[in-house]
Amino acid sequence: MNKIFVGLIFGAILGAIDGATAWFTPDVRTMMASIMVGSTIKGMLVGLLSGWFARKVDSVQWGILLGSVLGLAFAYAVAALQQDHYLEIMLPGFVVGAIVGFLTQKMGTPAPVKRTS
Amino acid sequence: MWGDADTAIGGTGDRFPSTQISLIEAAGGEPVALERVASLYWKPVYKFIRYKFGKNNEEAKDLTQGFFASALERDFFRRFDASKAGFRTYLRLAVERYAANRHEAEGRQKRGGDIEPVELEDTVAGGGSPEEIFFQEWRRQLFALALEELRAECQGAGKLTEWAVFEAYDLAEGERPSYAALAQLHGVAETSITNYLAWARRRLRALVTERLRGVTGGARDLREELRSLWS
Amino acid sequence: MELSDSTLRHLCEVVDQPDLSGTRYQLGEELGRGGLGVVYAAHDTQLDRSVALKVMDADWAGEARLIARLEHPGIVPVYESGVLPDGRVFYAMKLVDGMRADRFAAVGPPLGERLRVLLRVGEALAYAHSTGVLHRDLKPQNIMVGRFGEVYVMDWAVEGVGGTPAFRAPEALADQRSDVYGFGALLRFLLPEAAPAALQAIAAKAMNQRPEDRYPDVPAVLREVERFQDGLAVEAYAETWWQRARRFARRNEVLLWLLAAYAAVKFLLFFWRPG
Repeated sequence: MNKIFVGLIFGAILGAIDGATAWFTPDVRTMMASIMVGSTIKGMLVGLLSGWFARKVDSVQWGILLGSVLGLAFAYAVAALQQDHYLEIMLPGFVVGAIVGFLTQKMGTPAPVKRTS
Repeated sequence: MWGDADTAIGGTGDRFPSTQISLIEAAGGEPVALERVASLYWKPVYKFIRYKFGKNNEEAKDLTQGFFASALERDFFRRFDASKAGFRTYLRLAVERYAANRHEAEGRQKRGGDIEPVELEDTVAGGGSPEEIFFQEWRRQLFALALEELRAECQGAGKLTEWAVFEAYDLAEGERPSYAALAQLHGVAETSITNYLAWARRRLRALVTERLRGVTGGARDLREELRSLWS
Repeated sequence: MELSDSTLRHLCEVVDQPDLSGTRYQLGEELGRGGLGVVYAAHDTQLDRSVALKVMDADWAGEARLIARLEHPGIVPVYESGVLPDGRVFYAMKLVDGMRADRFAAVGPPLGERLRVLLRVGEALAYAHSTGVLHRDLKPQNIMVGRFGEVYVMDWAVEGVGGTPAFRAPEALADQRSDVYGFGALLRFLLPEAAPAALQAIAAKAMNQRPEDRYPDVPAVLREVERFQDGLAVEAYAETWWQRARRFARRNEVLLWLLAAYAAVKFLLFFWRPG
């Protein structure tokens, strides 16, 4: 399984879980379904980009950093759409991004090294 | 050094009492092997008995004769198991047993016949335990016998100069002559001196090894003994 | 002929010294005496370098040839062999500049270094076993640790030499598992006072009295040690659940911290937000 796949799959799973925790915020419980879908897609995007990065660059620290930044960015976009719950969306999104970034660095096969001849 | 003339009965190095030969032949063991063992071990056993049991010259000689006469029967060699211990150790233990038995048989109590190492007036400088003395004498005798063979070989083959040079240099007590002096003395080049010595030492080594082969129980025993010999 | 002690001593010295005339080597000092022969330092006059010369009586030369055929970074390379004028056989090999493993351990190196040396020894052993050669006399005195990290296994013993009591397996007939025993003894020797229990367990398993209770071969021991180094569970050592949990935590430290951070964030937001 290559790193992009790892990113997509874990991004989806973790995004879904993160979205599911919205249940603990009563005032958005009614929108659970859309939240979970959005969170999953968000996770997959972060995973895709992190995975692509991890294929090229082998560094756990940079992977975590990129994942966090991507997670934060996409989370901001989602929060901006609703104009609300900025903190509840961005903070967890930041950490989930970090986790996805870490996992794409540690797991999966990187891009094969191309021969010059 | 043990210059005790009274040990001449077994002490000139290359022969042992003719009484012993006949006893051994009569005992029926392989005569060649028995002779080789006795000619090598007579003196070491004698000295061992003197030191280990505090015997005087006569008593020690008597015990030594007795040991070789009685112990060197058919069984002695057959009972030797090379995988358990070297022949030298086996023989030494047999000597101890024999002396202890004799001691008991003669019913002697503590009258200086104690089985304990005792300081004698004419101790060898730098003593050591009876076992160490046994080893030293064994080594000394081994070389002495081999040297006799080498001398005989040289005389037989007309290598008189070789022997003379070797004797003057390697067998010298105290200061050794220089190669140059020897070369001049015998009217040869210094390189010849080097060659003669090298040859003689090679022959000596071979003779020692061969003699040792004849008194050890197989390759392993031989290897162990060679190792002890040179260290 | 009466030989004085001094003459006897001189004769022993002079007769035992190998005569190297006719070879390209000049004799140096005696380095040591092993079961098979004597090792001297020597100078190769043709290549102008120092070598080690092992001199032994001809009877055991056949075995020496067998060992000379081994080629492995952990086994001292043999350059040449020959016969001396007195019939003894010699072989010239690399002169290792370093210290014996017992001295190496006495210096007090870190555990990682000790294990590195052990693994190198194991690789050399595994190679030799694959060609059918056993060592039979594995002990710290037969391992050299070079100045630049080289590790050499020396003094491969042959039939009849027997080994050294503390490191020798109890069974009479030597085979691969006897070397496993010796290897375990070496591990135990190299381990410091307060060594991890898992490593001690590995050594103990390799040193079981019955050969069938030991590891089947040296590579199996190597894999165990490598598993230990990777923080994995070791076959020889039964952990408590608590030790296993700690090991798991150590191996997955980063991930666990990240998950903890997530949980902390969620908790904080949950309790702080409604306020």
